[in-house]
Amino acid sequence: MAMLRRFPITCWKNFQVGLLNEQLVFLSRSLHKSAASEALEIPATAEEAMSGRLVQPAAAETDDKQSTVSETRIKSLTEMPGPNTLSNLIEFFWRDGFGRIHEIQLEHTKKYGKIFKSRFGPQLVVSIADRDLVAEVLRAEGVAPQRANMESWHEYRDMRGRATGLISAEGEEWLQMRSVLRQLIMRPRDVAVFSDDVNKVVDDLIKRVDCLRGQQSDGTSVMNVNDLFFKYAMEGVAAILYECRLGCLENNVPQKTQDYIAALNLMFSSFKTTMYAGAIPKWLRPIIPKPWEEFCASWDGLFKFSIIHVDNRFAEIKAQLQRGEEVKGGLLTHMLTTMEMSLEEIYANVTEMLLAGVDTTSFTLSWACYLLAQHPDVQEQIYAEVTQTLGPGTVPTADNVPRLPLIRGLVKETLSRLFPVLPGNGRITQDDLVVGGYFIPKGTQLALCHYSTSMDNENFASASEFQPDRWVRKEATDRVDNFGSIPFGYGIRSCIGRRIAELEMHLALTRLIQHFRIGVSPLTTEVKAKTHGLLCPGAPINLQFIGRENLTDSSL
Amino acid sequence: MALVTAVRRLAQVSLREYSRRRTAVSCWGGWQAAERSFSTGLQPLRSDNKVMVHFVNRDGEKITVKGSPGDSLLDIVINEDLDFDGFGACEGTLACSTCHLIFDEDVYKKLGPVTDEEMDMLDLAYGLTETSRLGCQICLSKSLEGMVARVPESVTDIRQSKDGSS
Repeated sequence: MAMLRRFPITCWKNFQVGLLNEQLVFLSRSLHKSAASEALEIPATAEEAMSGRLVQPAAAETDDKQSTVSETRIKSLTEMPGPNTLSNLIEFFWRDGFGRIHEIQLEHTKKYGKIFKSRFGPQLVVSIADRDLVAEVLRAEGVAPQRANMESWHEYRDMRGRATGLISAEGEEWLQMRSVLRQLIMRPRDVAVFSDDVNKVVDDLIKRVDCLRGQQSDGTSVMNVNDLFFKYAMEGVAAILYECRLGCLENNVPQKTQDYIAALNLMFSSFKTTMYAGAIPKWLRPIIPKPWEEFCASWDGLFKFSIIHVDNRFAEIKAQLQRGEEVKGGLLTHMLTTMEMSLEEIYANVTEMLLAGVDTTSFTLSWACYLLAQHPDVQEQIYAEVTQTLGPGTVPTADNVPRLPLIRGLVKETLSRLFPVLPGNGRITQDDLVVGGYFIPKGTQLALCHYSTSMDNENFASASEFQPDRWVRKEATDRVDNFGSIPFGYGIRSCIGRRIAELEMHLALTRLIQHFRIGVSPLTTEVKAKTHGLLCPGAPINLQFIGRENLTDSSL
Repeated sequence: MALVTAVRRLAQVSLREYSRRRTAVSCWGGWQAAERSFSTGLQPLRSDNKVMVHFVNRDGEKITVKGSPGDSLLDIVINEDLDFDGFGACEGTLACSTCHLIFDEDVYKKLGPVTDEEMDMLDLAYGLTETSRLGCQICLSKSLEGMVARVPESVTDIRQSKDGSS
């Protein structure tokens, strides 16, 4: 399910564009949270820029008398600061910049400011690392915003005769599919009905943790928790998207599923590198054929996996209908029985959701557990909230989550702030805009630098600290969120899987906290983030899961 | 799952409505049509028992319309073809805050509980006030008879007015 979330906008951009955007530089200034209304008001410079959205650049050239009235003079892109092309190439190719995109984003923001340009080959990217400018850009969106140039995705689909899904489609085609899918999986109340399905997967997750730690000599350690959460997320996707279980979390994983896991793991990881395939000009392919070949092979594998499962369900439905039985089911059944989208479109969307929904969720769960282990006091606070709210042993559902504000805060603090799985988002401007005092022509690739804005002290006090309670509202009018932290994006092209991903994470984390005290393993030192398409752990995270039943009852 | 299916069936109806309307109407009109039938599908229509609502648009004009109990304010805007530019972009799926409305304090208190998801989206609303809510989350009831809902100034309007004056 996470799939869903990622697949929307956010996700993807980062992929393909991301690479271009790598520079995603980011950075930021802006107000502080409770200032929601201020945020809305938008600081002077921003407001000016916005108002001048369609202003002709000509008006700008004449008056540059005083820098204090900078908003009256609209600057051109050539005046925008940024790293030069050569140093950028060196940064990325000789200094492993691809793995440090999030750090480069911060560095560039510090060096060049809240808005700057960079070139990646022929691609010009304007990076926006300011909360209020990000808000302006997103609020000015039209009915079918575009994230990035998806040419390589389209080329693959044309070559194989496949349809586009929500990530790769644009314009009218995108709008039609989005309108179908959002009515199915975007409203929190529609997604809440998946609680039971998700909880069955969480049951297996808890059992699996128990089993894994039992295999270690200390009886508590689980090595490389991301491997575990990858299987959890994949099982969750299968449960919702394919309406079947794969058995990823069983002690004896079926051979077929083992093959799937291995293949998908490979695909996800090669995807991140082959995303660069789109950045390599076509004419270079005969000389450097590998990225494109791997890109195609990855897609072949993802499509194959989805098609097998969709076809299985389709065959079951047909058989049921032939027997005159009533057909009941969830998301996939609905899509297959109503055919609001063609079968090819269903294949494409399910495939793109699979791509979007597995490692995004697993990385976030890994980071959340890592942060909990490093902050035992915060963990105890959350544990106290969970036990007080639910009582011992109650299995949480979506209905309980509103009464677990620290669990929501934990996910937000992990995903929105410290480890945004997509460190940057992309947009291609569909109009001429004036942003931050610069004229940005229609068709420009923008990189919205979420990593930088979420780490900005002006947006979040003590930004580098892990404080899930910063998201807890004292009352309904207390404002805590802001554009400095929008991991799922905002608006019509935001992550469609958001609510499903949140449900998967809320239910899994609540239950893990109920069952275990999560501790740092002596086998793990500090783990840093690395950009590999997504922001992922740079080394295996090994943690201890100490059964709560073994603890003294003083904490209860 | 049965519930999901039921919900989806409603969604389907709305989409059909959406595509039907869409050919004749602009994009926004299309979205709104979809939204409307979706919500009305969830609540029985009681045409004899309408609730009066006054909207104040961005130009300060008062527009008085009627809606059925159970309809959301977004439904009404769509049903009545009220022209509030960019209103309800995500069709009430809590992915944006474009159906942001501002209420008088006494009305605000009667609007019922706010969900976390709505609060999160409100945080991202332009021109937020202490008595702001999202129109897609407010359902009409008899006790709201005669309520006033103010459409806040939009980003777009600011742009246009400045453009116009310059």
